Amino acid sequence: MSGATFDHLKAMIVEDNVHMRTLLRSLLMALGINHVYEAGNGADAFVILRDKSPDLILTDLSMKPVDGIAFTSEVRLSHDSPNPYVPIIMVTGHTERHKVEAARDAGVTEFLAKPITAQGLFLRIAEIVERPRPYVRCAEYFGPDRRRRADERHPGPWRRHEDLESGMRVE
Amino acid sequence: MTGKKPVSHVPHKRAHATKIMPGAYPVFPRKIASSLLHALRDPEVVATAARVVAEKAEDLRIAVLAHVDRIADAARAADPVATFEQAHEIRGLAGNAGLVATGRIANGLCRYLDASRRAGRQPDQELVALHLEAIARAAHAEDEATRLGDTVANELAALVDKKLS
Repeated sequence: MSGATFDHLKAMIVEDNVHMRTLLRSLLMALGINHVYEAGNGADAFVILRDKSPDLILTDLSMKPVDGIAFTSEVRLSHDSPNPYVPIIMVTGHTERHKVEAARDAGVTEFLAKPITAQGLFLRIAEIVERPRPYVRCAEYFGPDRRRRADERHPGPWRRHEDLESGMRVE
Repeated sequence: MTGKKPVSHVPHKRAHATKIMPGAYPVFPRKIASSLLHALRDPEVVATAARVVAEKAEDLRIAVLAHVDRIADAARAADPVATFEQAHEIRGLAGNAGLVATGRIANGLCRYLDASRRAGRQPDQELVALHLEAIARAAHAEDEATRLGDTVANELAALVDKKLS
């Protein structure tokens, strides 16, 4: 066993169900992440975000008064967001397509469908750590690139002005 | 007329997009990333974490049963929003409680209630009642994870598909 602990890493769980919060916390601690902050909804989470600046966020989708989609938008777009690039894993039982699309368009980095498995969670964290995605900023969106794979063999159709000219401007 | 849309020669006004590459924004430092990846792929760490999940099953099963009582109350009050919320809680918890069929049936009910709400239709109370009965029976069954639970989930999913078609 690696036995490693990650004292410099901070994670936050945003989930209104106490059983799910406990489960997620236990999984992160099994991994060696001991600084885990918890919030029961998006409004409380944003307060913790400003205070603790976590390196990783796991959030549920359905919560009141502020759900995971509104919270993600706030993290990505608010001018007082301490880290608009923080990776956000949405842990959800929602299978309704419109909900998943809304979460993606709010800037969620990864999705983890319930039921939760250790392998599923660890794979998403590994993806974030090993292959961090570019972020895209345009008039309608800011967040991780929603086009996961840049396939050089893709013959088009190209949808954006920049695609047609010289590719996206890269910072 | 061929029925084809005419081709527009007016260029589309496209949004300008800026791509910000990893490194231009803060990512996990290399040393931390390396040891974190090592831990994430360590079979012993994964096995320990899987045990943690398994150990929570009984607590989650009790939580599911509490939601089964609440969903019955919501349905009795003919409150589709509260019924959806309780069904959503059940589908979220049931899988980790080892109640696979219960979760599938609750998911079917969520799908139906969500589609009804989006279509501005009142849900069929008979179909809702069928789901509630199946959820309650499956959640209390000792042998929930049997083909019977799967069969009920499949039959109810077919009924939902028919209603939504």
